[in-house]
Amino acid sequence: MPELYHYLQQLINGLTVGSTYALIAIGYTMVYGIIGMINFAHGEVYMIGSYIAFIALIGLTAMGLDSLPILMIGAFAASMIVTSAYGYSIERVAYRPLRGSNRLIPLISAIGMSIFLQNVVLLTQDSKDKAIPNLFPGNLVFGESTMNGVTVSYMQVLIFIVTFVAMYGLTLFISRSRLGRACRACAEDIKMANLLGINTNGIIALTFVIGAALAAIAAVLISMQYGVINPHIGFLAGIKAFTAAVLGGIGSIPGAMLGGLVLGVAEAFGADIFGDQYKDVVAFSLLVLVLLFRPTGILGRPEVEKV
Amino acid sequence: MKNKQRLSKLFLAMALSSAASYSLAADPIKIALAGPVTGAVAQYGDMQFIGAEMAIEQINKAGGVNGAQLQGVRYDDACDPKQAVAVANKIVNDGVSFVVGHLCSSSTQPASDIYEDEGILMITAASTSPDITSRGYELIFRTIGLDSLQGPTAGNFIADHVKPKNVAVIHDKQQYGEGIATAVKQTLEGKGVKVSMFEGINAGDKDFSSLIARLKREGVDFIYYGGYHPELGLLLRQSKEKGLNVRFMGPEGVGNSEISAIAGPASEGMYVTLPKSFDQDPKNQQLVEAFKAKKQDPSGPFVFPAYAAVQVIAEGIEKAGSTDTDKVAEALRSNSFDTPTGTLEFDEKGDLKNFNFVVYEWHQDGTKTEAK
Repeated sequence: MPELYHYLQQLINGLTVGSTYALIAIGYTMVYGIIGMINFAHGEVYMIGSYIAFIALIGLTAMGLDSLPILMIGAFAASMIVTSAYGYSIERVAYRPLRGSNRLIPLISAIGMSIFLQNVVLLTQDSKDKAIPNLFPGNLVFGESTMNGVTVSYMQVLIFIVTFVAMYGLTLFISRSRLGRACRACAEDIKMANLLGINTNGIIALTFVIGAALAAIAAVLISMQYGVINPHIGFLAGIKAFTAAVLGGIGSIPGAMLGGLVLGVAEAFGADIFGDQYKDVVAFSLLVLVLLFRPTGILGRPEVEKV
Repeated sequence: MKNKQRLSKLFLAMALSSAASYSLAADPIKIALAGPVTGAVAQYGDMQFIGAEMAIEQINKAGGVNGAQLQGVRYDDACDPKQAVAVANKIVNDGVSFVVGHLCSSSTQPASDIYEDEGILMITAASTSPDITSRGYELIFRTIGLDSLQGPTAGNFIADHVKPKNVAVIHDKQQYGEGIATAVKQTLEGKGVKVSMFEGINAGDKDFSSLIARLKREGVDFIYYGGYHPELGLLLRQSKEKGLNVRFMGPEGVGNSEISAIAGPASEGMYVTLPKSFDQDPKNQQLVEAFKAKKQDPSGPFVFPAYAAVQVIAEGIEKAGSTDTDKVAEALRSNSFDTPTGTLEFDEKGDLKNFNFVVYEWHQDGTKTEAK
């Protein structure tokens, strides 16, 4: 039994980490699906999301509104709104003027944006770690005890629930709503969609906003779970989420979700079998293997030449 | 008449002050203060900077060194070995002959190669890796103890006072963390304590849930961590959340009030080896007041060693009678220096002859008491 508990525990650990990767990965994959560009500033958008959540928590506590629901809703709302605004402005400032130019140019612009955002936060918030208290301390324990059983913290439960709701909401939005249909049309053929009267610039801005809002959700969840943020967290989170997006098949939304979960679980078991220092090695080896045998990723479709 | 006299006095003063400023401008002794101004461990850099800058200020106030004033210039290496090399080259190009720094052992090591080659005298107030002074260099000194000293202190304390049955030793794979962790492991095994896990984590990582699951499975009852506070803080917090209630211990790289901000109650009772708290020493109270007057915190482990480093350079120059770094190095090796960290004497390698680490018990409000 202890062995079973142990592996079950690792599976849950992996799924928790994986669902946050998936949330960030969606931002990469949606943007790629529509304009075929990798938004390398997305990791920094996530980082800004955690700072906004941190500021909102401090602000609300300072105003004396420190009941749990208000803090949670406040942090999520503030972070999603402000981060979405960032997502929108980044697209407006750094990418829209370059639309139609060589593919490499917006890529460089994205890297510049990423450096810019990181330094803005570095200068305004300084480089020290900021600590965020855990608002949901406590565990659910399955099995005999915390030492011999599966412990799932309330925070992990919250991560599962929020991620599921967000993913489900996004899927509904994309498959059912008018704007969602426009998004799919743009992903299929942006020129044709434009000719048919869809405001493609608006749709592109919308994908940036959705990506940023989901990154903000991930940011709030992760910063509450781990409790430490600094201006450098965007880089690693961005790389991991990008890996998840490629793993699942870049451009595909279910692919990003699946890719995130697979990556998280692979990391947890990689760390379990080979030791914690080989966690990233396992994750990136998996990426190489998938790309060797299935270059389009798990759920990706081979790109059809557009006529 | 009176007016004339006043004017002549004024002219005299002007002439004097311009002469003085001329001689200052011509000949200030620059000291490069190299360490992380930015980055994850910038607060340790701050400790080093405020200590060194306080020493420079006080020495200048007391008339400088052989009539010349000292001038401290900060260089940012962000605790990144690549940037440290760039900083070292910049220091060479700027024509600076004395360096107080770097902070992280992994930065000090490559930078010190350059200093030794270029005839620059370096004193680190914070890097504790033994490798730095074990290469037979002439111009590399330090005013702090070594991992090879700190490791055994920690190991002996664990074996003699804690007496655990099953220890895990974790490190961050960096020169400093892994070096200390290795020394602790060797000491423990030498004393017959079982070390069931010895492995690294990735610095900058946030999630240690799978490591904690394995620590639980191994049934460890004591954990030593070699590294810095951001990772240990998270490890403490997550262990507590997952119900792994064991004691942790770390080197001075974790002894920072930030760890209590990150880990909260989980940091209560952690052991940490630190240099003696120089700010508690009664004979340093005047200096402590001077720091407090500038709203600076003198309690960090590197503040006083950095102060001592600057003082040793200044007295070395005075004793050598020149700023020639070879002569100053010679003076450092052949004299003893009375500093706020005690009477310092350097051995052939450039290390202090006697430096003691003390084991403290950490509390969740960021304070510490000496462990019994």
